[in-house]
Amino acid sequence: MTARNSVIWCGLIALSLCGSAALATPPAKLALQGGRIIPVVGDEIASGTILIENGKITAIGEKVDIPFDAMVVDVTGRVLFPGMVDAHSSRGLDVPNEQLPVTPFLDVFDALDPSKLYFEDALRDGITSIHVIVDNNCVIGGVSRVVHPIGLTPDEMTQDVQTSLKLSVAPKRRSDRMVQMATLRETFLELSDYLGDLAETKYEESLEDKDEKIDVGPEEARARGRKLIRSVDYDDKHANLVKLTGGQLGAFVYCETGGDVGRAIRLAKDNGFFDRMTFVLGAACYKAVEEIKATTRPVILGPELIHRERNELTGEIIETFVPKVFADARIKFSLLPHPDGSLGERYLNYQAARCVRNGVTRKKALASITINPAKALGMNDRIGSLQVGKIANIVVFSGDPLDFNSWVDQVYINGIRAYTRDTDVRLKRLFGEETSEVPSGDEKEKVDNEVSVKDSVDQKKPTVTTSEKAGTEKKVTDESKQGS
Amino acid sequence: MIPHHYLKSQAFTRGFRMLLAIAIFVGVTLGGVVQVSAGDSPDAARIAVRAGKVLTMDKADVVYNNAVILINNGKIERVGAASKIRIPHGYRVIDALDRWVVPGLVDCHNHTAGSLMDLNDMVYLTNPGLRTLETVMPESENVKQGRAGGVTSVLLIPGSGTNMSGFGTITKMGGDTVDDMVMRSPGSLKIAQAGNPERYWFGVGRSYMNYNTRQTLMKAKTYHESWKAFESGDSSHEPDYNPIYDGFRGLFSRDYPVSVHTQMYQVLMTTVDMLTKKLKLRTVLDHCTFDAFKVAPQVLKTDAYTINGPRQYWFDRSQRKMNGNAARWWQGGVHKLGINTDAPVIPQEELPFQAAMACWYGWQTYPALRGLTRIPAEALMVDKRVGTIEVGKDADLGIWTGNPIDPRSSCELTIIDGRIVYDAAVRRRF
Repeated sequence: MTARNSVIWCGLIALSLCGSAALATPPAKLALQGGRIIPVVGDEIASGTILIENGKITAIGEKVDIPFDAMVVDVTGRVLFPGMVDAHSSRGLDVPNEQLPVTPFLDVFDALDPSKLYFEDALRDGITSIHVIVDNNCVIGGVSRVVHPIGLTPDEMTQDVQTSLKLSVAPKRRSDRMVQMATLRETFLELSDYLGDLAETKYEESLEDKDEKIDVGPEEARARGRKLIRSVDYDDKHANLVKLTGGQLGAFVYCETGGDVGRAIRLAKDNGFFDRMTFVLGAACYKAVEEIKATTRPVILGPELIHRERNELTGEIIETFVPKVFADARIKFSLLPHPDGSLGERYLNYQAARCVRNGVTRKKALASITINPAKALGMNDRIGSLQVGKIANIVVFSGDPLDFNSWVDQVYINGIRAYTRDTDVRLKRLFGEETSEVPSGDEKEKVDNEVSVKDSVDQKKPTVTTSEKAGTEKKVTDESKQGS
Repeated sequence: MIPHHYLKSQAFTRGFRMLLAIAIFVGVTLGGVVQVSAGDSPDAARIAVRAGKVLTMDKADVVYNNAVILINNGKIERVGAASKIRIPHGYRVIDALDRWVVPGLVDCHNHTAGSLMDLNDMVYLTNPGLRTLETVMPESENVKQGRAGGVTSVLLIPGSGTNMSGFGTITKMGGDTVDDMVMRSPGSLKIAQAGNPERYWFGVGRSYMNYNTRQTLMKAKTYHESWKAFESGDSSHEPDYNPIYDGFRGLFSRDYPVSVHTQMYQVLMTTVDMLTKKLKLRTVLDHCTFDAFKVAPQVLKTDAYTINGPRQYWFDRSQRKMNGNAARWWQGGVHKLGINTDAPVIPQEELPFQAAMACWYGWQTYPALRGLTRIPAEALMVDKRVGTIEVGKDADLGIWTGNPIDPRSSCELTIIDGRIVYDAAVRRRF
């Protein structure tokens, strides 16, 4: 084995250890000392310390008493930022959506692939929580789960199981809005029929032991039977819908246009999941911003931040920067990374930086990639900010997170060091040993021009995934030759 | 040496053999109404083999140099050093003093029952209730080829065009009727996860396929459990007989395994999690190619067998590195590791070449030999009968010019159940 090979090998072992880090217990006490802290909730600390005990943040401030037995990591000159949260991603799955339109009985567990490079990239990009959910091409998709990007199996990766069902009021591909809405109505009508029948059956079963058989009529029989149903009585096809209408499951509802928003609200109110609804919005939905605001439900904006529409009279393209509209309406929103890994939009902090460029305040931009998505997932008590009591999901940036010359240097998940740039073999192979080299000032100037930003992004971090993607496709072809 | 059996089958014309095959097929499908027998009487009940080297492949890894094997009535009567065994009178002696004698090779993954038309019945995503037993053809060209390559037992399974394609059959590579050949039916349940079923059912993702496969198995399990409750007296309600799910009873009581077409990390991980861990099935993981070896830590926590092949290497594009699949599984601690051909994808007689290739990519010779004999026999739960040369086991042997894994070696004589079924001295195939 050559020296170079052995370096790669050591790196690979280190990387594969990242994967198994979920199994490892974190050091009991860990102090990240001397960094600039951006807690997102609360004031920035120019130079401070975060103390982590058993995977949770126990102290944070300029001066923290570090216990004698804590491992101290010097992060002087670095920036400590909450692990970023991706509120809606289907990239960990084999296909974004199943062909069947109504699949509330499915679980992403069955298709989640921990070996996807996507998870490795998420870690490298500073994303520590990912809501894995089917994509928008569905009527009702399966249940989702929240994972962190380390672990060898879905079970090891999981932070929260069975969080939400996916619904779409925008038409599934090759369908239309009337069929879409009819299918949704039909599904919930069928559910209520099913529940009525089940209640009657349960009531009749309860009479079997009794001598006296009284016919109370179907209405009364259903009312009495309903109380006798236990959760195990529901079949697979309906169990999750029952949870949804009973408020035990969240609902991520996709709207493509402004018109979809009203339909989504009505659907949610009619079927009892309005209080657990989260909007997943296409760019055109900004037109329904007042309607959305009135609901006070969480908002997730799609990865395309600019809405473009052609004025048919003049031929002019009207561009609207969508997050600005929501920010101006004082709506808290979450941003998503772009699924195309070869664009700058792949990075959540880049998405936030674009918001700042377009007039959204820095505070709101930072919240939209951390605490807001955490809130949309109902996990803001655990993730999304650097506060005492929260899970220690921390990204150590080499500079300000919104400066696109900053690198993710380290990532901590549950207080475990899950990533270090020094041992990132793939980065090293792409850039040589000098990954920390900061591009010249000229390139910083270009940030105003979007096209150039992409160019500079490409120079600095040529995408790792493109070639891999091609590889995956090839793999399938290879396999098809394999035959039976 | 009179290869009586072989000569006899040579006496048949091609047309007659065709008729015979049809007759057998009709006979089998009519449930044995028509009795077919080629009438081969086992006159050579007692054979003594004098061998230069005997690899017993038993648990103690015993190798005899200059040894004698006594075969009586289809079973191995004695095996040991030539100095310790006197060949009794009345034994036909086969001299193989410059040869290696190894157990008949066992393949867990063969699709040559019937014709290619019989490979898959693609009706639904899961087709419980189908069986390859109905398509077994004795003395087919595939059978003859296989035993000429020293392969004596195979699991004939349906293809992987659907998620669940039916029950396989374990047969010997010799015998004039289906009954003669069959060792066990059902031999295993065939499940295919991802890959091929995705090709035939475009648009079906893994989330639906796994859900659907699990549902079918759960229905079968419920059927099994309600019968078990009835038989043990826990329930007075006699369940209705269901011909589709009845075959699954042995699966859930672990009388036979499930063989799973599974490859790639996520797919194999799901196999182990769903079938081995949660449904507690005796599992044989077939193929196990691409980056599946990364699941080794999970496989080690179970009693699953890993049968690798026919693809022997995986090039990892992200690391620009060649990986020998078998070698990586072995490195990951998975030692219940065997090799398969997926015949006719790779011809059955090339089973040892698969092992040779696995060794070329970093595996070791002796474990690879074990992966052709004892390990697949254990995986299929027929290790009480085949897979090693031990007293009391079936007399299934291959007599080779050298190490079977060495591509220069050739199988010169094959014995199944004490009968010579191939003799290169009479008519050489390879």
